Amino acid sequence: MARAGSANSRLDRTCLVVCAALSLIALVLPPPVREPIAGWTRRTLLAPMVMLQERAELSRRAFLDHDTIMRKRDSVALRGMTMTALNAENDRLRGLMGLGSRLRWGFVPAEALHGSGVRDEFGVTLSAGSRAGVQRLSPVVAPEGLIGVVDNVDPTMSHAMLWTHPDFRVSAMAEDASAFGIVQANIANGPRTYLMEMRGVPYRTSIKPGTMIVSSGLGGVYPRGIPLGQVVGETKTNESWARTYLIRPAVFPANVASVMILRPDRASQGVDNVWSIGAVADSTVRRIVVAGDSMARRAALAEAQARQAAQDSVRGDSLRAAGAPIAPSAPTHDSVPVRAIPRLRIHRDSVNHAHLRRDSTPPPPAN
Amino acid sequence: MTLAGMSRAVLTFVVLVLLHYTLRPLLGWRAPIDFLLLAVLTVSVRMRPGAAAILGFCIGLIADSLSPDTLGAGALGMSVVGYAASWLKAVFFADSLPLNALFFFAGKWVFDLLYFIAEHRLRGIELVQQVMIWSPLSAAATSIAGVIVLVVMRPLLEPSVA
Repeated sequence: MARAGSANSRLDRTCLVVCAALSLIALVLPPPVREPIAGWTRRTLLAPMVMLQERAELSRRAFLDHDTIMRKRDSVALRGMTMTALNAENDRLRGLMGLGSRLRWGFVPAEALHGSGVRDEFGVTLSAGSRAGVQRLSPVVAPEGLIGVVDNVDPTMSHAMLWTHPDFRVSAMAEDASAFGIVQANIANGPRTYLMEMRGVPYRTSIKPGTMIVSSGLGGVYPRGIPLGQVVGETKTNESWARTYLIRPAVFPANVASVMILRPDRASQGVDNVWSIGAVADSTVRRIVVAGDSMARRAALAEAQARQAAQDSVRGDSLRAAGAPIAPSAPTHDSVPVRAIPRLRIHRDSVNHAHLRRDSTPPPPAN
Repeated sequence: MTLAGMSRAVLTFVVLVLLHYTLRPLLGWRAPIDFLLLAVLTVSVRMRPGAAAILGFCIGLIADSLSPDTLGAGALGMSVVGYAASWLKAVFFADSLPLNALFFFAGKWVFDLLYFIAEHRLRGIELVQQVMIWSPLSAAATSIAGVIVLVVMRPLLEPSVA
């Protein structure tokens, strides 16, 4: 019994010595021998464990980076919100530059300094004054249309009465001059409805919803042709001899940051076609863009057709060179337009020819 | 050891090995918990010293394969610690958590001592700093984790009395 225990102890010690010896041998092995052993172990026994460890480390990194990522996401979101405002401001400034280039002369650019007082919705302070040529009763405009009129001038700044003011009036007309009236803020339903109304339109005259209303030039303060807004519909009033129309304003003063003040000499010269030219120019630009797109499509189609024709001819030549009989193939979709181009020309010629024939037919005898 | 007891020990061993490759990287401590050593120690006290030495050697060699430059250092440390744990199992068979905590602490510290001396990577003040500061801290963390494992897995590790 004691001998067996002693043998076991000896066996245990032998195991320990062997393990320690193998460990020391592994330690002193040259790298070319050591690396294959370690590599085999990594690829087989340890591979699932390494995968688990990788996942765990990724999770830890994600956990640690969470706050940083959230901060970055918040700042990007904030920047995105600012970008929207910047884009809107850019559009507005571009519009203002366009208006300036169309007006060409006789205007003073100014910043609209909105306050936060109770009556600020009726007036606005402008950053240009008499030193810049601003005078009282100068119209204040934006690229979209009329904002108000200067009612107070200082050397370096001025104050404008906005169209939302209860005392504001402007002589107006439909864009096609089919109806005339006086436009003012719509305060029948309260001062903050932010709509205009066109009063005094003769009862026999009807204006369709959507019609653009512009200043008529009567009265001498506002030149003819400044957009005021679009007709929303007729509204009922106590005046039985005239119609009153609600108008959706072209400009909401609260949204305006930069404006143009028309000098009196410019206003007296008129601004005909300044805003309409803008609309025409916009539509012209759109038409040019559309035409450019269609030309690009045509060019791409022609290039594809030419390529297909070249491939067809190469295929035909190679078949002929190989001595294979060339069967007349059914026309493919790709090959049809290539042959259709000259045919179209022939049709056009024949049409002209037909015109000639018609011209050459003898006129009926006059009886 | 009965078959059921062996199965329970193997299950505990597998759980600890899995924790070594999942929980330890997740915690990312400077003085990490060595679940692999806990696994070897937990199983070694239920084996003969020779078998414990072989088990330690195998586990150490596999763990060393992640750093081929020190292949063998972990195997040497694990072999010695496994053998010693099995040899001292009579002492630590007592159902005393502080004694078991001391056992885990000493096992981890001795292992680190053997490992860092055998691998020859740290020298001078760095070796002293590692062995006298970081290794005891890691041993303490390992010891606490070992005690928690013992408490949690006691129903599994100790056979039920019929």
